[in-house]
Amino acid sequence: MGTEVANITIQDIAVNPVSKNVYCAVQHSDGTPVLLKVEGDKLSAVSLKDVPFSMLALTNVAAEDAKDQRGGSLRIASISDMGYADGKVMVSGLSNQEFGSTFRSIPFPFTNVQNQASLEIYHAAHGKYETMAPIKTFTTTEIKGKKYLLASYTCTPLVLFPLDELKAGSHVKGRTVSEMGSGNSPLDMVIMKKGDESFLMMANSSRPVFKVNYKNLAAYQGSLTTPVVENFATAGVDFVSLPLTNVVQLDKLDDTHMVLLQRRSNGSLDLWTSNERYL
Amino acid sequence: MCNLIFFVSCQPAAEDVGIRIRWVDKRATGLLIPRQLTPDVSIDSLNQRLSVRLAGNETAMLGQFQRVDNDILFEPLIPLTRGLHYTIWLNDKRLGEIAIPSLNPDDKPTLLAIYPTPDSLPENLLKVYLHFSRPMREGQSPKYVSILKNGTDTLPGVFLDLQPELWNADRTLLTLWLDPGRIKRDLQPNKQLGTPLQTGGSYQVVVSANWPDAQGATLGRSATKSFVTVSRDSLSPDPKQWTIQSPKQESMEPLEVAFGEPLDYSLLTEALHVLDKGGRAVAGKWQPADAEKQGLFKPATPWKAGQYRLKVESRLEDLAGNNLNRLFDRDITRKNAAPTTRPFVERLFRVE
Repeated sequence: MGTEVANITIQDIAVNPVSKNVYCAVQHSDGTPVLLKVEGDKLSAVSLKDVPFSMLALTNVAAEDAKDQRGGSLRIASISDMGYADGKVMVSGLSNQEFGSTFRSIPFPFTNVQNQASLEIYHAAHGKYETMAPIKTFTTTEIKGKKYLLASYTCTPLVLFPLDELKAGSHVKGRTVSEMGSGNSPLDMVIMKKGDESFLMMANSSRPVFKVNYKNLAAYQGSLTTPVVENFATAGVDFVSLPLTNVVQLDKLDDTHMVLLQRRSNGSLDLWTSNERYL
Repeated sequence: MCNLIFFVSCQPAAEDVGIRIRWVDKRATGLLIPRQLTPDVSIDSLNQRLSVRLAGNETAMLGQFQRVDNDILFEPLIPLTRGLHYTIWLNDKRLGEIAIPSLNPDDKPTLLAIYPTPDSLPENLLKVYLHFSRPMREGQSPKYVSILKNGTDTLPGVFLDLQPELWNADRTLLTLWLDPGRIKRDLQPNKQLGTPLQTGGSYQVVVSANWPDAQGATLGRSATKSFVTVSRDSLSPDPKQWTIQSPKQESMEPLEVAFGEPLDYSLLTEALHVLDKGGRAVAGKWQPADAEKQGLFKPATPWKAGQYRLKVESRLEDLAGNNLNRLFDRDITRKNAAPTTRPFVERLFRVE
């Protein structure tokens, strides 16, 4: 790219589930975005010039007079995660102004009908406190034949929402299935499979990669409504901290292999694939 | 949208063979190579035969060549880096070298303000805004902004390390959250580490001089904002308690709204609206005043006599993230604090 390492940030990686090519979203220090494709050990630029696409504007609750009064609003919605399941594109967003969560579920292919479900997401702590809780990352899953959104907040509790309850304008409370400790922000989640067992793998900003066995998620019927006793433990469903630290990006290559972007102690970033031994 | 201003200047090249830099908004976005340097190269083979490399490097940079008038324009994927040298090649023949001049050392961004402005803030303060004079580099806040307690101890883990960061569209206003997991009562982070700030504490937000902007220039001067903490704010803003000072008719005086407490800097200019009797928006501009304890609405045209409505969107928050509908952190065992769902609250006022 003709510059120095310090000027480049890798913002996301994603694996094409069919071709298994790895795509890297890269940002230059001046904000210029670049999309790169990794095929084996070859890197190439992906031009978005002639790529077919469909588009839908995410409607903000813009004030009726915002346009004629101010021109450029200070407000932006930043997308914290995106996913596709069951004919719907799901988008979680954070605002640089109000504290809260916007979660949208948009039928795909896009239509002109604005039938986005925009939700207010709340978090109930131990049956005593209720707070707004922005979603940082999520995935969708099925537990005992029912479809769920499995999400992690910016304050790291892991929560489940039944997908059929995510209706426009509703005030939704996730069922907290695990609290995952302090000073940490979730980065990415994927669901892996080994034999008959499924696992949720979660990369974190200041914790190793967590692994949650699905059996435990499915069996856990509680909702962390009672205060946690031990102070330095996490609560709810059991999870394992894997010997995988400083993983900044995570995606699924296939059921048993993950693609990881890991910061090494010498500061370099390694892109590599894991095998079954972590499952 | 963005206005691109193109201008080409002749920068002294290491060898003067006429290779020039194309500048856009102070960024070197391309190289112009005179066609006479490549007389026998057809348009179709430009991208196969020509390459630009970082000086001393074998690898060709990713980018596109195309013919523009009497030049061949090379546009790299990302702008060329100031202070670095690049070589231009036709197959294995070196056509020339060019240096991208370093930034003018006096051309630095500044930190215009740190919000909230008051010097006494609630223990459950949720957000801090940093306002810069020009676009900054993203993803840097954990390195360059910190909170000191009692002038000595840097507090770890006060701000949530949120990537991507919450910038406005032109990357001049950054929103930082104090770790909400530590502010929310009874969550694990709150129980383990306590709230980020404690009542009666003396704190300083410190912004380092080394924070780079989008061009790579650094702030050059560190900035601090001192404050003390008072007890937690557990009340929603209540527009019914606000004092409205009506302007005089035919004047350009601002409408003055006093909130009785400081409100969120960014929301208070965007969540308030003035409507005339017919419900039409009155054109004008909101401005925070008196350390965000007031909002001033300056009309675009003189006030006409009559009745007006001040419309307040419920998303308006105080410094602790309590909005008009609900508290940031609500004790649901107490019955009197049930959240509401109204989208806005209105107050009437008259201009005479």
